[in-house]
Order: sequence, then structure tokens, then C-alpha cells
Amino acid sequence: MSPVKAVSLAFVAVLSMAWAASAQDTTSPDAALAKLLAEAKEQCATPTVDRLVRIVCSGKVRVGARDFYPLFSLRSGDKREGYEVDVADAIADKLGVDEEIVRVNAATRIPMLAEDRVDFVIATMGHNTQRDSQIRFIRPHYYQSETTVIGPRVALVASWLDIPGRTVCATIGNGSNAELVTHEARLMLFDEAGVLPERLKDGTCQLAAQDDSFFAFYFTDPAFTENFSQKFGFAQVPWGMAVARTGSDRLARALDLISQIFHRDAVFLQLAQKNRIGTAFLREQNAVWKRLDCDNAAGSTNPACILPALDADLKPTPFAREVSSIESWVRAQTGWSNFLLPMLKTAPAWTLFKAGVQNSLILIAGALVATFVFALLLGALQGSRHWVLHWPARALTVVLQSTPIVLTLVIAAALAQALFPYSDAVAIGAAIAALGLTNGSNAGQAISEAMTTLRAEHERLGQGAGQLFKHALGRSASQLVSFLVNAAKGTPIASFIGAPELLSSLTDITSFSAGRVTTYWLLLIFYIVVVMVVVWLCNRLQGWLARSLA
Amino acid sequence: MSWLPEQIAPDFLPRLLGGMAVNFEIALIALLVGLVLGLLLAFLRLGKGVLGLPAATVIGLMRAAPTFVVMFFLLNAIPRDAALFGVKLHLTGMMAVAISLVPYSAAYVADNAAGALAQWRSGSHLGALLFLPNLARAFFVLVMSSGAGAAIGVTEGIAVILRQAEQLPGLEDKLLLFAFGIALFGIPLQAAFYLIRVLQAWLSKVMMRQQVQS
Repeated sequence: MSPVKAVSLAFVAVLSMAWAASAQDTTSPDAALAKLLAEAKEQCATPTVDRLVRIVCSGKVRVGARDFYPLFSLRSGDKREGYEVDVADAIADKLGVDEEIVRVNAATRIPMLAEDRVDFVIATMGHNTQRDSQIRFIRPHYYQSETTVIGPRVALVASWLDIPGRTVCATIGNGSNAELVTHEARLMLFDEAGVLPERLKDGTCQLAAQDDSFFAFYFTDPAFTENFSQKFGFAQVPWGMAVARTGSDRLARALDLISQIFHRDAVFLQLAQKNRIGTAFLREQNAVWKRLDCDNAAGSTNPACILPALDADLKPTPFAREVSSIESWVRAQTGWSNFLLPMLKTAPAWTLFKAGVQNSLILIAGALVATFVFALLLGALQGSRHWVLHWPARALTVVLQSTPIVLTLVIAAALAQALFPYSDAVAIGAAIAALGLTNGSNAGQAISEAMTTLRAEHERLGQGAGQLFKHALGRSASQLVSFLVNAAKGTPIASFIGAPELLSSLTDITSFSAGRVTTYWLLLIFYIVVVMVVVWLCNRLQGWLARSLA
Repeated sequence: MSWLPEQIAPDFLPRLLGGMAVNFEIALIALLVGLVLGLLLAFLRLGKGVLGLPAATVIGLMRAAPTFVVMFFLLNAIPRDAALFGVKLHLTGMMAVAISLVPYSAAYVADNAAGALAQWRSGSHLGALLFLPNLARAFFVLVMSSGAGAAIGVTEGIAVILRQAEQLPGLEDKLLLFAFGIALFGIPLQAAFYLIRVLQAWLSKVMMRQQVQS
């Protein structure tokens, strides 16, 4: 390249940069915000044109915030404090108006926007695709949280690899429950997150999964920090302020610009530090919004600068529309307003439901076979005249009779997991063995008692024992049938050790879907019908035994 | 492996005994409610009225209802603000376990009460008295079944054992702890069953003597 050409290119480059800097100044978010507010002030005669006009003309903004979310928004008497409260204060200052904070909660924050009872909300709300259709989220986001798994410091849990088969306490309706379920966690569900720390402390929960912003407060307590730690996090979700979808375009634009400025100038970051909440996300965002391609009036629509909403939409089943029609028809015909069939409407729920039904039937069939086999085996051993066979079988029966079935299941699962890596098949196999042993030992005792009485009768009558065992089986048939039915009835308890039968599957489905009441009604009906079928089959077996042994 | 008592929490035994008291409490509530409901159903079933068939159907459904499913049904399908005769129901975990055992206890009582009534009507008053040891047997079955409460966070005996087991590193230690728990549950159970057998044998002897005399 010639020196002349090089100098010319350098001159052009300097000119371009100077032009860009000048353009940046006139299209900066600050200038765009000032222009927007000035225009709004000129339209006070028509305050209904947009909420921004009403706010700047009335001199007051109504902010929806939570009353109790430690470190973020906390009210004690007339005093409010927390990161979100401070952000709301800073926004009101930027708009040049007073603020009125209105209490909202998780259930009311969206309806109150639609009903025009608040102008915007800043209320620990994750931005997901489902909510996008209901409200307009402000970009950039003012915070980001993730679901964190908390447990005792001594618990060896570091990643998803350590989760299969473990009980994790969570709250109903939490969007991240679906991810826990896909990693084979057993969920213990609670209505309110507030109980989770106590349940961790009293040992009810081995692990708890909840938003990290929720646990941030508890980790300010040295006693809690000494005993519990964060194991790992997942399901990052950006938090957004939000306005109503209609009549708030300019207000949304103003809040977008203010958020850009607050990130660029580290206002969000300083307020987070003041309130002792996590700042990693805000530091990243501070760097992003200082960039030239983001720090301009169009930055909040630039995909390179803003974060996408969390995709919370579950894939529907091919017949979801028909199921919705059936739901509507049933609701209209019966007045059962919350009749819902969540297990048929989304692909993950349908997969869980099918697997649950299949595993339940396998479990029931397996428990029946195992009970029958153990009954014959332990009956023969206990009925034996040889003490080497008789006493160990008798001792095993006494131990099994003295053990609550939940404990028998846990022991079977612990032994199975010592021999094989955890899997659904191992859990189902352990449950079949436990149910079979418990019920089979009792039925076996009945067979051996029948053998004893038959021996006594034959000796009294001076007859040979003959086909003693076969006759004992006939005599104890009603007891055998009773324990077979008991084994079938007991199968749902296998969910306690993680066997993915129907109770377990439906509990998982209701953890991330609506329709709990309908779901548990269907579950109850399913098991009652199945047990009645088993009773019918067992009665036929009893009849067959009676006929064949007559 | 260090000695097990050194590894378990010092307050484990008091907590376990407290938890077992909860098991007995749950069983007592389930038995009392089941007794009232079961006797009512038994009378209806044996009566000549139109309610005989519905009573028999209800008993059949109760026999078929799995306790564990009923427990989850109560916790999830009953609205939090549900009221009965104007009284707001506050279904605690313990009450959910107790009520989930009622279908079993009521069906058991109804079946045994029907047998006892038949004996009474045939003039065998002592035979009818066999109903009492059978009730005691049901009580201990309910105690053992109440361990299901561990699945919903009720602090009963099994839950205390399982929480302690979580703190133990090795399988051998856990199995030793489980064995201790089985002994604590098993000794009163086997003692009670022994007494029931003695009582039944005594009643049978008295009945035989009465039959011979008559």
C-alpha cells in the first residue's frame, strides 16, 4: 500500500469514528429518554394516550412490589427495603415523579397490571415465553436468578449425576420441576417455599430446589451457612419488570431506556451490592451495556445485547386440542370448574403418564408372582420337620412381620443399589422383592400352619401324609388370596424408593402442570379398579385351587 | 467402620421414641374412626333395609383402596379451604396418614363385626368376643402401616430412622441402624401378637367348655 493511500484511509477512518461518536451522542439512551419524557409532558391534555403521559402529568407512578421477599422487597410497617424497592425508587427519580408502592404477590402481579391497578411491576418475576403473551417485559432485565439445589454440607451432591433416586423438596408449580423430574429426582412437594429451610433443618428434606434469590437471605444466617451449601444451579431465568400489554407502549419504552442506562452506569450493580445479593449477572450486563453496539437508543431491541425469555412452553401432544375440547365439555356439563387432564396435553407429561401406567402394571404383576413364589417357598420351608429348614424360614418371617413395609422397601432398595447402579428397573425390582417377601412370608406362614393341622389330622386318623403340601395349599387358599390382594394394593408405596409407577409419575406431572385435583381422582380410580380386577382374578384362582384339590 | 453408637446423633433415641409415639397416635385415630364407621357399615349391611347393598359396595371400595394412594389423594385433591359442617378442615400430614388408614380399618372392622354379630345372634357370646383380639391385631397392623407418613414429611418413627441413616456413610452402618429400628418396632408387635394368641386360646377353651356343659 502506498503512503498516500494509507494516509487517506486513516483520514477516512478518523472521520468515520468522529461521525459515529456524534451520532452516538444524539441517539444515546439518555437523549432518547429525555425526548420521550418531554413529549409526554406536552400531552397532558390527553393523559389516556399512554400510561407514561399519565405518570409524568400526575407526578406519580404506581409500582407493584412484593411485601415479603427478603433482600429484594421487604415491608415492615411503613418501611420498605430491598433491591427491588431501591430500583423502583431510582426509576421514580429518573422519571421525576413520586412513587406509590402497591402490594402484589405471585398470583396477583399479572392481573393487577391488566386491571390498571399498577403502572408497572417489579416483583421477582422470571421472564418466560408463557408470560410474554400476557404482559410486556422490560428489556434489558434487571436481575437473573437460577434454581439452586441446597443440601447439608456433608451430602455428596455436585451435579445431575448425583440426583437420580434422591428426594428433592420443591414447590408446586415451579417451572424447573420438570427438569428435576427428567433427571430422575423424587419430588416431595410443598405449597410454599417458606417451609423449605425448616424442612432442611429438621431432616425431612435431603435436598431442596428453589430460586437462588430465595435462599440468598438464608445464607446470610451463619448457622444456616455452617450446615448447608449450594450444590449446583440450573434453569437460569432473567427477571423482568413488566407493564400491561395495552396502553403502555411509551412507558415500556421509557423503562427499557432507563434499564439500559442503569446497567451502563452500574446503578443496578451498586443497588445489588448495597442489598448484599448476587452481582455476577449485573457485572456481565454492565460490560454489555457499555459496548457501543448496545449503548444506543436501539440497544434494547438488539438481539446481541438483550437476553431471550426462558422457553417455558412444553411441547403439546398431537391430540392436545381434542383433550382441551373434552375438558371444556366436561366442565360445561358438570360444573367441575377445575377439570383438567394435564397428563394428556403436553409431550413430557404424556410420556411420564404412559411409563407410569406401564410400570404400575409390571409392578403389580411382579408383586403377585413374587408373593406366590415366596409363599410356596417359605410355606414349604416353615412346614418342614427339619429344623435347619424350619427355623431360618420362621425367623425370616418374624423379622419381615416386624418390619414396617416402608423400611423393608428401603432396605431392599439399599441392597439393590449396592449391587447394581441406580435405574428404574432396579427400583422396580427391589420393590417387587420387598412386597413379595413381606406378603409371601405371611402367606407362607398360613400354608405351614395348614400343613401342621393336616399332619395332626392324618396322624390322628392313622393315615399317611400323602400330598400334604398340595392339600395345605388348598386349606390356606383364602389366606394366600388375601395376601396376593394385599401385595397388589401395596404397589403404590414403591414410589417411596423411586420406582416410577403411576403415583410417582402423576406427582411429577402435577409438579409442573395444573390439574392436581382431577389427576389424583383419576389415580384413586385407577388403583381401585386395578385392585378390584386383582380381587376377581384371585377369587378365580381360589376357586380353581379348591376344585383341583378336591 | 467406627462403632455405630458413636456415629448416630445423641438425641436419636428420644427422637425415635417420640416418632414411634406418633405411629401409635396415628394408629389409634385410624382405629377409632374406623371403628365408628365400620360398625355403622356392618349394621347397615346386616340390616334388612335398602341401605344393605350400598353399605356392602362402600365396604368393597374401602377394601380395594390403597392406603398410600388415599394419603396422596387427601393431600392433593382436598382443597386447602375445605370445610365440613362449617368447620374449616386443616389437614395436617399426621391427620392425612390417619385418615388414609381409615378405609382399611373401617372395612376390617365391618368384616369382623359382621362375623361377631353373626356369632352373637347364634348364641355364641364368647365367639363374638373374638372381635376384641382382632381389633388389637388391626391396631398393630395400623401402627406398622403408619410408617407411610415418612413419604409426606411426617416425623414418625420410620422417618426418624431414615433421616439418621442418611447421615451414615456405609451400607453396613445403615443396615445395623435398620435392624435396631426393626427390633424397636418388632418387640412390642410380637409381644402383642403373643398376647392375642393367648387370649384367643383362652377364649376358645372357655367356648369348648361351655359347649361341653351345654
